[in-house]
Amino acid sequence: MLRKVIKSNEFVIFLILAFLSLMVGTINPAFFSISTVFDILRAAIVYFIMAFGLLPIMIAGGIDISFVAIAAVTSYATHMLLIKYGYQGGIVPYYLIACAMGLLAGLLNGFLVTRFNLPVFNVSLATFTMWYGFNLFFVGATSNFDLPKGTVGYYAKFLITSQDPLVGTTGLHVSILYVIVIGVFIWWLLKYTTIGRGVYAIGGNREVAIRSGFNVTMIMLVIFAIMGILSAIAGVTQAFLSRYFNPVIFIGQPLDVLAAVILGGASVTGGRGSVIGTALGVLLIQLINRTLILTGIPVEWQKLVLGIILILFTSIPALRERRVRRMGHTTELLQE
Amino acid sequence: MTTRPKTSLSKERLMSFFKAAYIDSQTLQLVGVFVVLVIFFAAIDKKFLSSQSITSMGFQLPELGVLSLAMMLTILTGGINLSVNATSNLDAVLAGFFMLKVVPPDATGVQMVFYIGVALLIALLVGLITGIVNGFLIGYIGVNPILATLATMTFFTGISTGLTGGATVTGFPESLAVIGHEKLLGIPIPFIIFVLLTILTHYLLYRTAFGFKLRMLGSNPVASEFSAIENKTVLMKTYVLSGILSAVTGILIMSRTMSAAIEYGTTTYVLLTILISVLANVVSGFGNVINVFISIIILQILSTGFHMILAGIRGSSFFKDFAWGVLLILIFIVNYFVYQRERS
Repeated sequence: MLRKVIKSNEFVIFLILAFLSLMVGTINPAFFSISTVFDILRAAIVYFIMAFGLLPIMIAGGIDISFVAIAAVTSYATHMLLIKYGYQGGIVPYYLIACAMGLLAGLLNGFLVTRFNLPVFNVSLATFTMWYGFNLFFVGATSNFDLPKGTVGYYAKFLITSQDPLVGTTGLHVSILYVIVIGVFIWWLLKYTTIGRGVYAIGGNREVAIRSGFNVTMIMLVIFAIMGILSAIAGVTQAFLSRYFNPVIFIGQPLDVLAAVILGGASVTGGRGSVIGTALGVLLIQLINRTLILTGIPVEWQKLVLGIILILFTSIPALRERRVRRMGHTTELLQE
Repeated sequence: MTTRPKTSLSKERLMSFFKAAYIDSQTLQLVGVFVVLVIFFAAIDKKFLSSQSITSMGFQLPELGVLSLAMMLTILTGGINLSVNATSNLDAVLAGFFMLKVVPPDATGVQMVFYIGVALLIALLVGLITGIVNGFLIGYIGVNPILATLATMTFFTGISTGLTGGATVTGFPESLAVIGHEKLLGIPIPFIIFVLLTILTHYLLYRTAFGFKLRMLGSNPVASEFSAIENKTVLMKTYVLSGILSAVTGILIMSRTMSAAIEYGTTTYVLLTILISVLANVVSGFGNVINVFISIIILQILSTGFHMILAGIRGSSFFKDFAWGVLLILIFIVNYFVYQRERS
């Protein structure tokens, strides 16, 4: 059991995380504070949610990038719609309307993929550019800062707060709860339902999955619907965390999320991937992004350091896998 | 001497001609879309077919065009190169620094040509080095191409950011503008470069041993490895070529804008080059350079055409993104039905 844990990809990512934290902490002891943890988690919240939505699709063997566009169009369109009718209430209608839109947008992807037998990536590329274009042309092209009265304090609604001598009061935002609920849901879905096992089966071998009686069309539609809904939740959450609605939110981020999921052990060709690995992958990318500033590296060179770290840390799992491959297929099977 | 029966003459000859000219059903479809779009836009706005608008398109599309060739080569091997745009910006920044730091302000005409030549060589050389980095990570270490090139994209952008501090580099010698602004025999020079590189890529893919190996590797890497093809070397060469083509784009952008910066293109260019490959039906192992060429022209026509028609409406320049997405979906659906009919 312990051997299995140590040999897993999740454990390697965890080691890299721990190593990186130690290094940053040695350079700048300010890193080891509860406020840093809260800050990284706050930045990671929406990426967790989007990555969890992407995970089942990756396991089923598809690569999707349209989830960011769905997040942008659902959150921004919901906001403009509610503002137009002078809405001043709470946050719940935002989530409800955006999720309904997200469901439809996800189903559109799913429909195109299953009905016309298309690669997920191609469809998502088309809907990516389509939704951003739709948002900017038909809904609006400028950021909107007018929040309804009922939602004004939401960005600072904390679960736990802590006093920090340097930065003052910091807290863990309530939306971390959504992440936990969604994470547990996806984990349960993948592990204990027929749909979840079907997702792995499709990723492993689509033809075999069909012949073993899995309803591939239905499974694909369900996971795309989930992706759409989770994207909508991520879009609305991010807008309220940053207190404005941006029509092109996340436009540069799809590949970051994709990288986090792949780094977390999901295979690009499908069949592999786990919720824990994905969460660790997201955390790793956010940790690198947010903590470089603490190391004292000049701002203009931080991106270079980020690049070097990414090159190193994507090479480590690849080198490990090469060793396994060189040992031969049979050895791998014997170890299982 | 036997005479060929008349009936088979037309269709068979046409098919063999198509095959010799590398025209497939996708090409015909794209040409159809092209014709429809041109007629549509010309009917709405007479200015669309004016020489001025055609020339401006000829200046605009080569940058994305050459970048798409760089992307297409890597997709053919079953990989992807997300660092194409970061590469072209890095090349432009380094060549720009050379021109700013080394070229004396009182250089004569001949000296100037020499210095600019060296600057362009530097750009191409940097493109080659970036290609080696990518090729090493993907071919020799075996990192997944998406992850590897995403990391190098950050890395290359990081070098440019560190050197420029995020600012735009300007103040290049005037003679550099020749490449991006002049015409030869009435044809914009960037467009000539693009056409030449397209032909070269086509020749490379279909008339050389390397091109054959590249496509074999893309269609089945295991089989190609067992057929005595050095997968590593082929991957390395492919990513080097991709880097050099990206460098050409860097030169074109630098010469058109007379500046170099990290933010030119950014993510949209990368995704657009992938979109063009998808539109041209380029998949690992199979792809047609002619289709890529027509796809680029179609995207440019949509962009220019809608810009003309919708001029004055708020956010008009964004409609093209929507139109690209819809067009892509429509082509997928048509492809599906064509494929169904061919099978039955």
